[in-house]
Amino acid sequence: MITRRALLSNGAKVAVGTVYCGSLVSFLTGCNSDDDNIKIEVLPGGLMVVDPVLCVGCRRCEIACSWSHGKSAVSPNTARIKVVKNLNFGPHGVQDNYHQQRGEEGDGTIVPETCRQCNVCMAACPQQAISIDEATGARVVDEELCIGCGYCAENCPQQVITIDKLTEKALKCDLCQGKPNCAEVCPTGAIKFYTWEEAVAEVEHHEKYLKLI
Amino acid sequence: MNTEFGGWAGYVLRVDLTNNIIKKESTNKYHNYIGGMGIGYKVLWDNHKDGIKATDEGNRLIISAGPLSGSGAICSARTTITSRSPVIRQHLITDGHFGGHFSPELKYAGYDAIIIEGKSPTPVWLKIIDDEVTLEPADTIWGKGMFDTFAAVAKMMGQQAQVAAIGPAGENLVSQSTIQTQGGHSAGGHGAVLGSKQLKAIGVIGSGVVNVVANNEQLRKLDDHILGIIGANNQGVVPHQPQTWAEYSSSISRWRGGPGVKWGAADNPVDVGETPWNDRQKVGMRTSMAEMYFGREEANKIFKRPSGCHSCPIRCFCEVKNPKMKTEYKLPTDNISNTCMGFLDPWYVMGLPGNSEKRTDIQTVGAYHMDNYGVWSAYGQLSHIMREFITRDFWKELLPAQEFAAINWQQQKDLDAHFMEDFYTRLAFGLQYNGSNILGRFLGKGVHEFINEEGELYNIQDVLNGVETPRMAKLSFNLESDAAYGLLGKTYSVFLDKGVKVFNRSMVGGTHHASETAGQVGALLNTVFNRDPQCHSHINLVNCGLPYGKISEVADKMWGAGAFDPVKHYKPMNIAKAKFAKWCLVKNVLHDSLTLCNWMFPLIVSPDAKKDYQGDSSIESQMFSLVTGIQTSEQELDDKAEGILQLHRALSVLQMQEMDQRNQHDVLTEWVYDLDPDKVFGDEGTIKMGREDMQLGLDLFYAEMGWDRETGTPTRATLEKFKLGYVADKLESLGLLPA
Ligand code: SF4
Ligand code: SF4
Repeated sequence: MITRRALLSNGAKVAVGTVYCGSLVSFLTGCNSDDDNIKIEVLPGGLMVVDPVLCVGCRRCEIACSWSHGKSAVSPNTARIKVVKNLNFGPHGVQDNYHQQRGEEGDGTIVPETCRQCNVCMAACPQQAISIDEATGARVVDEELCIGCGYCAENCPQQVITIDKLTEKALKCDLCQGKPNCAEVCPTGAIKFYTWEEAVAEVEHHEKYLKLI
Repeated sequence: MNTEFGGWAGYVLRVDLTNNIIKKESTNKYHNYIGGMGIGYKVLWDNHKDGIKATDEGNRLIISAGPLSGSGAICSARTTITSRSPVIRQHLITDGHFGGHFSPELKYAGYDAIIIEGKSPTPVWLKIIDDEVTLEPADTIWGKGMFDTFAAVAKMMGQQAQVAAIGPAGENLVSQSTIQTQGGHSAGGHGAVLGSKQLKAIGVIGSGVVNVVANNEQLRKLDDHILGIIGANNQGVVPHQPQTWAEYSSSISRWRGGPGVKWGAADNPVDVGETPWNDRQKVGMRTSMAEMYFGREEANKIFKRPSGCHSCPIRCFCEVKNPKMKTEYKLPTDNISNTCMGFLDPWYVMGLPGNSEKRTDIQTVGAYHMDNYGVWSAYGQLSHIMREFITRDFWKELLPAQEFAAINWQQQKDLDAHFMEDFYTRLAFGLQYNGSNILGRFLGKGVHEFINEEGELYNIQDVLNGVETPRMAKLSFNLESDAAYGLLGKTYSVFLDKGVKVFNRSMVGGTHHASETAGQVGALLNTVFNRDPQCHSHINLVNCGLPYGKISEVADKMWGAGAFDPVKHYKPMNIAKAKFAKWCLVKNVLHDSLTLCNWMFPLIVSPDAKKDYQGDSSIESQMFSLVTGIQTSEQELDDKAEGILQLHRALSVLQMQEMDQRNQHDVLTEWVYDLDPDKVFGDEGTIKMGREDMQLGLDLFYAEMGWDRETGTPTRATLEKFKLGYVADKLESLGLLPA
């Protein structure tokens, strides 16, 4: 099997319209890594990734994401980037050895989760309400079509989709038309927008923090 | 959810522990009191009961958020806790605060405040998941340390729960105890109140939203404006050490992040490097203030990253990793998160040793025990007494011989951090500690219980045993340095001893930003509240790091010529200083009501040379207007805050049943005037205050506040001006309103 790094260093540039499958894609998007059937059409744009070393847990990204979408209501639940979920106890929830885990109550590392713009939600949606924004590559929800059934949220490997309690529509990262509000307000530059090529190292770094320790 | 205005969640929860009845009330009736502390004092006024103790069933405790909490406004995640406090003489009202992420979560669950009443027959915890609010049995968590309690509640509720809790100190009714959230975010003085009510913890999960009336463009625009003005912690607007972009630098600035500063304990160590004021992606690095507590060399080894509260880009907390916590001190973790007193209290106890590995161990291990047990120091008052009594060799006289022999004093002398565990265990466990534990019970109780009118100590065992007329402790001043003050051999008094730092006779808390930073202005701020004032409105100007000339220019413009003297070279009291002091308190109350961080705001200076370092004092009202949709000017909002301050004063009068605040409350201790015997007030190089000058200070300050000159109590005209006619009526009916 080709390793992720090898693939890139072999000169396999990820270009617009390229269809990838297998390990690199599953790695970048966080979809099930053994599933060779998953194909991703890689478009311009890329991924938001957060560096847990630099994240200081202010949740300004969550706030800015709420601000920039719709009804001027702030909540971690309307934000498409998820910090609070892993804030206190890390990605694995409250473990008996919580002191040794991630999170504020653990080793102090915060591991925010961002959308990896994979195809899982798109495939799961029975309404075909999620489609690709050609300009940014973001998978975006069409509010007209969305019925709030929650299949996308249930299937999302990063668990970063929420169904808005009031509107009953899926809330998912749309990359803010290429000008992500979250990245703009992050006070340490922890959250950045990476092209697919650049994302490999960042995702690898981020993945390290998702593991049980 | 509130649909009429943005900001407020719309409901207040009233939790009656005695009868297990939980009710929702509308927040609307509190809008004139803003939120946070304002709701707290209004509820306490409305439900006032004469002469009760903080730990009586009839005392209420209010945990409140303000309209800005959860809205995302910068630095808006403080939580205010108001109640009578057992640490204070006559158990008067105080407010304590913590940051973290609790109040935003409370808002997302749909509540602006929780009023806690009565007393549960068995230990319980309060579970809030949106509309489902229940009291749950706490038998499995009663007795647990703070950290395990957070974990246990989060495990039962879901990991995203924000939890506030008490530790063993609160359970054991130790007066000097905290209510805490997350690691290190502590509110002081009310742990025992929850303990007496048998309420161990409150867990909140909110899946709702805080409505904000403005749109993204408006909010980002204000955000941008603020980011062009905000500095480092305590509004330091110049770096601590020279940086290429900066015209000035200053050793008092908390803008510590710069070349040579490392987040050395991070998995991939980060070199902070230059932190230009206009680099928006380094705002969160500029404070990096671990070196303030540990020194550069140690900090660079153990500092992992800064942290802090929801919505705050400044990050005054330090996440620290000291592997020895586990290997040598056998603690379950080697990480600790804290700021300021969490690190400094243990250091005070151990005699303020210089930066070294020993200091690091003391502060990390000490902070762990203090937080895990939920012990509070009354802004260092407890630890100052511990240290000073060691220096004076008083413990030998005060403790039973057996207890004295059982304490490992050698460890304290050797700066061995192993001392911390037993010390904080004694404090937190009081009577439950195995052995006589006079030391722990004394320090845990609040010094006001043990002193007479002159600050002289009673026999502490008599007091602990409830003897009606306790004997005196018979301690005398016994240090060589006492001779210069003519005290040698005289009866010891905490009011005469500068080493224990009790600044105000009535509130007996540690000095907090008083005459040592802002002369009479700081001293006046230390007269009004019932505990240390926790006011940083003045500090956020006078410690900003700009040269004196620039600061006094701002001060003159705001309050008139001569508002701010150079530190340690104080001139006589004047009206400008009285205006400055009043402004500080009004802004402080405003912040504790909004709730906004008073450790950062107000922002009346900036790091921007092009703006001539000017800030903007109206940001709070801009935030309030955008979030609530109620267009409010700075003056209008300040007036609301001043109303809350007037209500606080009136409530103190009511609780004390004493109109003469001037002579019974606003009285400073003797050392404040007698310091540096070879100097007189006004000499260069001393912070000593002048007795007559302070009386003039009170005259001018009362005049600014609209308080009666003789008594310092608000007049009817003043109360009515702030729509507090009902307060005037009540005081008048009790003969507590000045003629
Ligand atoms: S890019 Fe936009 S939508 Fe996506 S997480 Fe950031 S702010 Fe939210
Ligand atoms: S804004 Fe940046 S530092 Fe703050 S929580 Fe988000 S990723 Fe972390």
